[in-house]
Amino acid sequence: MSDTNREIQELLVDYAGALRDGYIPSFLKSLTREEGKLISSSGQFWDATEIVRILNGVGFADKAVTADVGLFMSRVDANIVSRSKKARASSQRKHSGRFTSQKRNNRGTKSTTKTEKTEKQI
Amino acid sequence: MDRRLQNALKGLTSCDIEQRRRAMDPFVRATFESFIRYLYRYLGNETECEDILEDVYADIWENPEYLNNIVSQRQLLKTVYMYYMRRRLRQVYRRINRHLNLSQNNLTNLVGPELGVFEMMSQSELKMTLHKAIRKLKSREQRAIELWMEGMSNRTVANELKTTVGAVKMLKFRAILKLKKLMQEFYQAE
Repeated sequence: MSDTNREIQELLVDYAGALRDGYIPSFLKSLTREEGKLISSSGQFWDATEIVRILNGVGFADKAVTADVGLFMSRVDANIVSRSKKARASSQRKHSGRFTSQKRNNRGTKSTTKTEKTEKQI
Repeated sequence: MDRRLQNALKGLTSCDIEQRRRAMDPFVRATFESFIRYLYRYLGNETECEDILEDVYADIWENPEYLNNIVSQRQLLKTVYMYYMRRRLRQVYRRINRHLNLSQNNLTNLVGPELGVFEMMSQSELKMTLHKAIRKLKSREQRAIELWMEGMSNRTVANELKTTVGAVKMLKFRAILKLKKLMQEFYQAE
């Protein structure tokens, strides 16, 4: 993958290899400006990527299936708990903000602007 | 659709947050395998797949409105890809995009593309169609694809076929394009 300015067939095979072996970021980083242009203008490349993904899914996706779904479930649950805590905290902050402004209004005090203050002094 | 999954979906689309959280367990158990297989097509990396899927499930818990009126497993997979997975997939490499010689549009198409014709077929349907198409290839092309699918490097495939790495790459490129054409023909015929 260190060759500069690869042909479109080389780019596709390298993409397929990167997808199979799980190093897509390195493949993306290895692209030169010319290769980037070649990819964007090549219809064949985009035609072939769909099949490459399918080959990857059919040939290798089984190894991604973990035996212990329970362990994964606990990760999901922790994620949900942290999100709900965040949501609760932000709603409390909003609520307390509204509450303090209401309190101020109940006391009957009126916020005075800088210009009003100076007017009074005059 | 599986009754357990149907019930989980009903719970997931409820307004009550706690009920949604309780429904998540059966939902994950019923869908984990198909979702992770699907994600693997785009990433090829188990750890990254799990990380994304964790966020996808949490997103579903947070905004489950797209999962109303789901009637089949295929529709569920399509909806989850369109509204939850694709967004996460596109986020994965956005952070490195600044250093890439690839436009944002191309990057998006490469890592979280629009759904093609074959991408909505089930795993078993795909396997069957793909094997049928591979059998139609020339023996050398067939061998190159099979060896690649066994996990061999281009160099090893070249040694096996007694040719150069460049020739193997060309052979695979042609074989993949032929596969696309053949699979389209099979799909239309069916």
